[in-house]
Amino acid sequence: MPRRAPTDDDIDGFLPLPTAVFHILVALADRDRHGYSIMQDVGARTDGKVILSAGTLYTAIRRMLEQGLIEELSDSPDPDSGDERRRYYRLTQFGRDVAVAEARRLSSMLEHARATKLIPRKL
Amino acid sequence: MEGAFVAQLRDARQRDGAGGVAAIWARAFIDLLPTALSEHHHVIRQDLRHAVRVLAAAPGFSAVAILSLALGIGANTAIFSLLNSVVMHALPVRAPHELVILTNPNARGMGIGAQSGRRSLATYSEFLQLQAQTTGFASVMASMSGTDQLEARVAGGETERVTIRLVSGSYFSTLGVRAIAGRTFDARPEPAAGTAPYAVISHQYWQRRFGGRPDAVGRTMTFRGGVVSIVGVMPASFFGETVGDEPDAWIPIAMQAAVLPGRDWLHDEPGSVEKIMWLHVFGRLAPGVSLERAQASADLVFQQGLNAYYDSIADADARTRYRKQHLEVTPAATGASAVRAAFTEPLWVMLGAAVIVLLIACSNLGNLLLARTTARVREITTRLALGASRGRLIRQLLTESLCLAVAASVVGIGVAVLFRRGLLWLVADERIALPSAADLRTIGFVLAVTLAVGLLLGLLPALRITKTHVAQGLREGRGVAGSPAWLRVGKMVVVGQLALSVPLLVGAGLLVRTLFNLQNVDLGYARAGLTGVRVDAQTAGYEPVRQAAAFSDMLARIRELPSVRAATYSNNGLFQGTDNGDRIAVEGYTPTGNGDGGSAYDAVGPAYFSTLGIPVILGREISEQDLAAARMVAVINERFATRFFAGRNPLGLHITQMYADERQTYEIIGVVRDSRQNRLRGEIEHRFYTPISQPASQVSRVTFLIQPRGDAAPVLADVRTVLQRAEPNMPITDARTVDTAVSARVVQDRLLAQLSAAFGIVAALLTAIGLYGVLSYGIARRTNEIAVRKALGAQHGTLMRMIARETGSLLLVGMIAGAALAIALVRLITARLYGLSPGDPVTFAGALAGLTVVAALATWLPAYRASRVDALMALRYD
Repeated sequence: MPRRAPTDDDIDGFLPLPTAVFHILVALADRDRHGYSIMQDVGARTDGKVILSAGTLYTAIRRMLEQGLIEELSDSPDPDSGDERRRYYRLTQFGRDVAVAEARRLSSMLEHARATKLIPRKL
Repeated sequence: MEGAFVAQLRDARQRDGAGGVAAIWARAFIDLLPTALSEHHHVIRQDLRHAVRVLAAAPGFSAVAILSLALGIGANTAIFSLLNSVVMHALPVRAPHELVILTNPNARGMGIGAQSGRRSLATYSEFLQLQAQTTGFASVMASMSGTDQLEARVAGGETERVTIRLVSGSYFSTLGVRAIAGRTFDARPEPAAGTAPYAVISHQYWQRRFGGRPDAVGRTMTFRGGVVSIVGVMPASFFGETVGDEPDAWIPIAMQAAVLPGRDWLHDEPGSVEKIMWLHVFGRLAPGVSLERAQASADLVFQQGLNAYYDSIADADARTRYRKQHLEVTPAATGASAVRAAFTEPLWVMLGAAVIVLLIACSNLGNLLLARTTARVREITTRLALGASRGRLIRQLLTESLCLAVAASVVGIGVAVLFRRGLLWLVADERIALPSAADLRTIGFVLAVTLAVGLLLGLLPALRITKTHVAQGLREGRGVAGSPAWLRVGKMVVVGQLALSVPLLVGAGLLVRTLFNLQNVDLGYARAGLTGVRVDAQTAGYEPVRQAAAFSDMLARIRELPSVRAATYSNNGLFQGTDNGDRIAVEGYTPTGNGDGGSAYDAVGPAYFSTLGIPVILGREISEQDLAAARMVAVINERFATRFFAGRNPLGLHITQMYADERQTYEIIGVVRDSRQNRLRGEIEHRFYTPISQPASQVSRVTFLIQPRGDAAPVLADVRTVLQRAEPNMPITDARTVDTAVSARVVQDRLLAQLSAAFGIVAALLTAIGLYGVLSYGIARRTNEIAVRKALGAQHGTLMRMIARETGSLLLVGMIAGAALAIALVRLITARLYGLSPGDPVTFAGALAGLTVVAALATWLPAYRASRVDALMALRYD
């Protein structure tokens, strides 16, 4: 039986995303990465505020693979890389949709905060 | 994951060095538990559900298992928590590791005179010198080594008893503690005498006396000699610097005369060499200062002080002798404690015994679990056949045993709380205040014991049963009956239990007999009903001349009481914790330097020896005439006579008592039988007695010793009444029978005897249960064999003897191993024994005989059952 296309309900079922999952999706948004590269990217983007340990990262990756948010690449995107042990991961379309949905959710929360003057228009 | 972790470590090393690497490892370990739980929680939940089902399916067994483990875990936890509170717990003050003590942390009370070697307590003058002149301390403070219970009127109310401790002005700042209401007193330099009328009260006293009301601050406490104002309240966790004490109030040493009038404890009399040593001195090390440097500085100042103080002694030899003292500075994170000195060793001994009992209980349960697991061999081999890994099954079986252990620990904590309270109740006349039991160390101990018990119980059955060959296990459907491997293990465990029980029983026997010996020591006088009532004339402000007259008058009134058969008095009383000793010279005797340069002594009233029932061997005892006479006389004991007058008649010869430059010479008028005044253990020391009223004695505190006519109880009440009527201002500081006082001396011995006996009995019972279990299973396994024997004509007696022989061989091996273990272990308690040696054959024989009886009882039922096997039924059952 062919896989059916994910619906909005499927996407909403993932929200709100755990912090680690959202950061991994964001890290994979612009390019495919291996595990350590994801850890480095998350640490750099958040100025060290979010540090993913190896255990947390690979637990999340395993779950995200099962959920279809990301996929593991059969070939390394960098053929010149000498490290054949490294596994590379790519964001699936579904994963991209879920990440966008989460970003929208966070953005609307920001708007609510602005509307009640909790934070200024320009933060 | 491994690759990413390695890359992370490499980058951290390059960026931040070793610190960065350590941070990565720490983060990984902290992350491990939640990650493992989240990854495997469904499996863990499954195992837990299964374990609870298995335990619930056998509620009787589970309840017995949990209860017996709970008792063992509870006893261990209680004893460990006491050890933690008494020995290991740091004081609830700022940075306790920076605190050191310059005096002996185990010392308590007061010494008047001189002390050679390591100084136990300091004088106030010495504290002031140390505070002013030592380097290496950020702060130095002093505190009274004991506490005093005094009568006071608080906030204008009725007279009540308040427990106080006198402390220096720098006390609270040195400890680094603050008041929770009001303030502490902090004065540097030390205030002059009488100029610091303050008190800081404890949280417990605040709650008890003032209901926790803020208006307690500002109220007054009126003592015999003056008034102090309450300026602050301490936090609930603060009890001071001495473990085991809980003063109601801390008052500046400068107010000593107001609180404890009648004596000056602050100043050493110029020219006198009688130092009043009563203070502990603590210091807080300055940053970067080592203990060695602080020690050197403190001892130097101390030695300079001694040199100056004893400079006035004319006798050069005496001067040198008195200067041979030194300070030892030791870490004081756990504070001072006389309780610690008394109870550390007994607590460790009891912990050892409790661990042995827990081991025996665990091995019993382990055996039973092994049997039950063996009964599940079909279930387990089926799982193995269906593809379950051995590790998975071991994990499941371990989850069951850990569940049991956790349940037992939860119940065990309740047992521990009760047991700890019970232990404290057993040892304490007054409440011993100890730091809280629940701290990280105790919690860690409980967790470690729980884990150890769970693993001990579960590992062996899990390993054994999962080694079973699948085909064999599937064939062997019947269950536990028929498992020779289990029987072998079971027998080994029983032999181990027997071996462990022997040292416990021997130790218990030795300690119980020691207690009996101590309680029945011949004191050398008639002690049944003998009562001591102690009064303090100095606190009442009596002048020395008036003291002697007052004592005589009080004695006369006591003798007139109808409930009193005879009465006398003495300076030190009997077993009241005080004694006197001085250097002596004996006429016609040349000292050899072997402890014959000094003697214990006491000052006694008229008819002292006849009242107590101490026979006079030679000459006469001290009488009324001697009190008033100008001629200085003394009576000596047998040991004194033997030591110093061997072959000579001591009557008419002289003893000279020497203290610094003072000399008092007495003529010996009598020799009395040896008796025990202050110690139950050890040799009776040589001693001389002088009349209480002769100038050399200068006693201001005496104990009236009363022989009752009949029951002792009415005597105490009568004597109190007559003394209070005669001298209402003179406080009675102690009133109890000599038996009670002696009993207080054997508190640790009684505790050890009671607990070791309890542990020994429990161990023997557990061993019997284990033996019973193994024999029962053995007989169940041999049902066919027994049936065949019966069918061939074997009698009941023959079968019972066959079973008994089996027990006998187990018992023999166990007792031989146990005896060897006992001989090695009881050496640890040699110092506690009295009147018997650690290898006492009667005790060994008794313990082994007791164990034999218990084993015989455990064997009887299985043996009886074996003899009653119905041969026909058994042969049909296959």
